[in-house]
Amino acid sequence: MNKKKHMVLRFSLVMTVLLVLLIVFSILSAAIGSAGYTIPEILNALFSPQESFIKVVVLNLRLPRIILAILIGASLASSGALLQSVMKNPLADPGTIGVSAGAGTAATTILLLFPHLTSSVPLFAFIGAALACVLIYSMAWKDGVDPTRIILSGVAINSVLGAYNSLLQLMNSDSLEGVLAFMNGSLSGRSWYQVKLLSVYAAVGLILAFLCIKSANALQLGDEVAKSLGVKVNGSRIFLSAVAAFLAASTVAVAGMIGFVGLVVPHVARILVGSDYKVLLPISIVLGAVVLLIADTIGRTIIPGMELPVGIVMSVCGGPFFLYMLRKGAKTRGN
Amino acid sequence: MEINAKNLEIGYGDSIVISNIDVEIKKGEITTIIGPNGSGKSTVLKAMTRLLKYQKGTVYVENKDLLQYESKELARIIGILPQRHSAPPDFKVRDLVSYGRMPYKRWYEKNKEEDEKIIDWAMEVTGVTELQNKSIQACSGGEAQRVWIAMVLTQKPEILFLDEPTTYLDISHQLETMKLVKKLKKETKIGVVMVLHDLNHALEVSDHIVVIKDGYKYSEGTPDEVITPTMMKEVYNVECDVLHIPGRSCPLLAFKEIS
Repeated sequence: MNKKKHMVLRFSLVMTVLLVLLIVFSILSAAIGSAGYTIPEILNALFSPQESFIKVVVLNLRLPRIILAILIGASLASSGALLQSVMKNPLADPGTIGVSAGAGTAATTILLLFPHLTSSVPLFAFIGAALACVLIYSMAWKDGVDPTRIILSGVAINSVLGAYNSLLQLMNSDSLEGVLAFMNGSLSGRSWYQVKLLSVYAAVGLILAFLCIKSANALQLGDEVAKSLGVKVNGSRIFLSAVAAFLAASTVAVAGMIGFVGLVVPHVARILVGSDYKVLLPISIVLGAVVLLIADTIGRTIIPGMELPVGIVMSVCGGPFFLYMLRKGAKTRGN
Repeated sequence: MEINAKNLEIGYGDSIVISNIDVEIKKGEITTIIGPNGSGKSTVLKAMTRLLKYQKGTVYVENKDLLQYESKELARIIGILPQRHSAPPDFKVRDLVSYGRMPYKRWYEKNKEEDEKIIDWAMEVTGVTELQNKSIQACSGGEAQRVWIAMVLTQKPEILFLDEPTTYLDISHQLETMKLVKKLKKETKIGVVMVLHDLNHALEVSDHIVVIKDGYKYSEGTPDEVITPTMMKEVYNVECDVLHIPGRSCPLLAFKEIS
């Protein structure tokens, strides 16, 4: 039982470190920005009954953004983790099942062709994501859903939708600002309204994700083994995908498309604590939150006076870091 | 406990792979399905375990239609080790074996003490207790195969299906696996159904052999009845003698020398 304890210990250790990081970066993120404050200044302002500029900045601008980053990171990472089990493919992420392309198509259409509906972009993005996902799965269906067919039909439909998006952008190249902001995922200007919205969706999605742990583990053993253990493989695969799509689609609706979190974070979590979803899922969630919070904080502070969309920061930092972890992880595991 | 397949016809798409086959499986016996590559051996095994749909015929599991079983209910009666299986390399042996209890659990239930006892028992029988804290990637091929068999045994099945359990193993691990199968039958009174390529293994461990050729049943019976020079010529197109060696109760196949 020594090794079992070892696993629990490892999980607790990683979890503690991540939670500490999350707290530290939340505080840091509240303090730094175009106007920098010290921590005592923030605390004084928050707990004094007087209205102050600091209070407004921290409470109305920075705090909702911090919470949003945490919720989005957690949702995207758990979505990716579930999909990697569904597809039995380490390259699966919310983009694979059409969430990004579907949301992108809907958002681009609204922003460029029906600009008077701009305020409803989140709703349409969510619907677009869901529709693309359903389309990909129905194309892939043939006596059940086979991961390879999902991936292939995903590639095909993503490419068609991508072409449509590009065409639309080419024809409307003078009014692309909103589209670009959406495509690159940004938390700029988000407020408590989005926090309320997303916290409901994320709570539901994350609870559902925790209910998927057993099936996610069983799917990792291969379809035939899972079936022989009495698991309804098709049903599980569709349920897991639906939960993953829901989680990712609600983030897209709120913040646009943020890549790489769903791909990189579950991988790093796997290297840190192993492939058992009982530990992999919670670690992915917290790690996703930390990563996106750091990325957004970097994005809004690295160039004074300018904001980098968090999606861009994620892609720029995420790629190389991922490669580093991959090489390091491969060495320690000896393969 | 019996499994009866009657008039099975199995195909992929339009092509029919297996036509009109009857197979009878009994608890407490080792039944081996043999036949050349592509003859449809594994297909029969998969159809009888519902891993593959069949187009015609019926499979009765304890006089009840196979298709009527709820998936967990079936998983408590029959255990299957498919030819291809994979687990994430960092999974610990004991954790992997414990998945065999899934058919007994609702989605929110955890393993209790009695489940842990069954897991201990399965690891004991298959001789993997020592490995329980190792990760599956640290096990040798033979060890891993025993771990997987332990997982299936943890389901407490009445009939155990093994699809080519020795295919990727070297000779010592092949023999080890065969010994284990025989021991399981003796100690647990379980029924075992295997697809095997090695006919000497089939001769040695089987109570009953079914020969499949080109999708139909060529013959069946005890090893002595079935494995004959005539069958070898007609099914495998191979010339050989069945040799009885003093001191061995089981005959051996001697193939014609390669010239």
